[in-house]
Amino acid sequence: MLKRLWETCCSLKLAIYLASAATLLLMGGSLLIPFNAHVFGSMDRLALGTWLDQFAANSLEKTWWFYLAAVIMLLFGLNTLCCFIDWLVNIRARWRKSGEYLLHLGVILVLIAYTWGNIAGWRHNGLQCQIGGVTPLTKWPGHFIRVDNFEPVFTGQGPPQDMISDITILEGDRVLHQGRVQINQPFLDGGLVVTPVSFGRQPSGYRVRLADFRRVDFKTNTQIRLNHGGTLRVLRFLPDARRQANGEIFYRSNQLGNPAFELQYTHPNGDNWRGWHFLRQALPKELVGRGLRLRPEAPLFDSYSSLTINYDPGAPLAAVGSGLMTAGVLLALLSFYRKRQRQDRPEV
Amino acid sequence: MNNVHLLQLATLAYSLAVACYLLQLFMPRGWLQKLAFALVLSGVLLQTGCLLWRWQLAGFLPVTNLFSTLFFFSWALAACYLYFELRYKIGASGLFVMFLNLLLLSAALRRDPALPQLIPALDTPFFSLHIVFSFLGYAFFAMAFSLGVLYLWQRFLPNSQLPELATIRKLNEESILLGFALFTLCLIVGGIWAHWAWGYYFSWNIKGVWSFLVWLFYAGMCHAKFVKRWQGTGYALLSIAGFGVVLFTYLGIGVLLDSNHPLE
Ligand code: HEM
Repeated sequence: MLKRLWETCCSLKLAIYLASAATLLLMGGSLLIPFNAHVFGSMDRLALGTWLDQFAANSLEKTWWFYLAAVIMLLFGLNTLCCFIDWLVNIRARWRKSGEYLLHLGVILVLIAYTWGNIAGWRHNGLQCQIGGVTPLTKWPGHFIRVDNFEPVFTGQGPPQDMISDITILEGDRVLHQGRVQINQPFLDGGLVVTPVSFGRQPSGYRVRLADFRRVDFKTNTQIRLNHGGTLRVLRFLPDARRQANGEIFYRSNQLGNPAFELQYTHPNGDNWRGWHFLRQALPKELVGRGLRLRPEAPLFDSYSSLTINYDPGAPLAAVGSGLMTAGVLLALLSFYRKRQRQDRPEV
Repeated sequence: MNNVHLLQLATLAYSLAVACYLLQLFMPRGWLQKLAFALVLSGVLLQTGCLLWRWQLAGFLPVTNLFSTLFFFSWALAACYLYFELRYKIGASGLFVMFLNLLLLSAALRRDPALPQLIPALDTPFFSLHIVFSFLGYAFFAMAFSLGVLYLWQRFLPNSQLPELATIRKLNEESILLGFALFTLCLIVGGIWAHWAWGYYFSWNIKGVWSFLVWLFYAGMCHAKFVKRWQGTGYALLSIAGFGVVLFTYLGIGVLLDSNHPLE
């Protein structure tokens, strides 16, 4: 009984059935991908495990084939593993097939690596990192990326030939890694990979003139002492905001549209105020009443480098699997020709 | 004279070779076979010259648009046929391969041969190797397709000028294994390039999925030859069906659907 079960697990016919079923499912299912961007468009932006959770599970009528194909592929992987083990225990008699079985082992490792990487990994796709600033990696709590320097490389007109970012990865304040990221030269460390995507400028505040003719750069966290002892602090800057009927403030885009500051006024005598100032409108009367004058003069911009920061713990294993597959496929070719030479293929 | 003239001359050589192979089927002559071989050889040499010329002009291996890949595919197919001809003397079996090659070339010649600008993400040996392995693999799959057609022809309309069924089957199996090996390397190199360029080694776009399916299909074929029911005619039919999958992956997706693969 056990022997029969093992033979089924190692059966070549089962492998062919499973591979055919996965092929047919993926053929049909993949045709849905280009027509349902709202479901499948994020597959590359997220680790597959997250995508299954956040997107696939909500559109089962469009994604059921994916689950089924994944189960069949895993069974196929198990089937290949059984074949490999069967070969391993009979290696004395079957060592000549080493190439074929290195290839099989490589396939198994890549399948495991892919599954593992997509369950335990995460992706930050095209994260805008302010140059000189520290950007939190929300999917890696406690960790940050800092772009210390950025330089685009242009040769004549047209798109940039390269985008060079010097980066530091921090765990809290502690430097974990430092390195350089360029097109086709990512930063790699274990399963961590950082690649360049694009770059640009983003509105980050306004230069304003105060009542005493001082010019100040108003950005998030700017703090100024006013002549009469009060302090004004910029809590937030939104380049394009909207106030809802119920008074709530909404962030609309990162293009300059309807810019707004969230401000906080404090005075040692306990006179405090907090609220929003839309630059297209007059200064809130509460601030005017406290003797404040603000005249916006010019927007301020921060440059950013957009980076993809992915973590795939399976990647090193996938690299080992690919190495084995390469060696295996070359050895399998060699042994194929040797067998041909020795007329070792009676069926041909 | 520009590089496209070399390609036109190669097309002429291949067309004459097809005519020779056709004549050979119905009027077997030794000199016809030799002439056909000489024509194919000169076609390959002309095409190789054209490829090297374009490579030198561009400063990189030009395989980044449809003209260039059709051209490269056809060159790889001709070279692959030459390998089988030199090794096994398959003679008039070249008819189908060369006919297919002519189709590829005529599709290429109708497109703009201007050398494209290389976008920075593709400026890496990994990308070039990915494409080279991919089209060498496709060439062997195309060869297997031609051998599959040949097998069915020989089975149902036997001709003494064509190789025996057992020989065709043997060549077909070799073609599939070589194609599979090259395509495996193509996927591995492509995976490394993708990981370095985008941060992940497999992309869920339709082209990526179908490339995996091509690989899975031919992996299946590497095993099907051990199953009695799939030997012979079954294997020939699978070779033909497999090439359908290849063609859809290479051309069909670009024509019918949108995909973000760089080769559209
Ligand atoms: C994607 C997964 C697989 C790949 C890429 C693969 C690839 C290959 C290749 C290229 C060969 C060599 C064929 C030749 O000698 O011409 C081979 C042989 C073989 N494979 Fe697989 N295979 C896979 C899965 C499996 C599975 C699941 C099984 C077990 C059921 C299996 C069992 C065998 C056996 C028994 C041989 C024959 C070795 C011999 O006697 O020559 N393979 N495989």
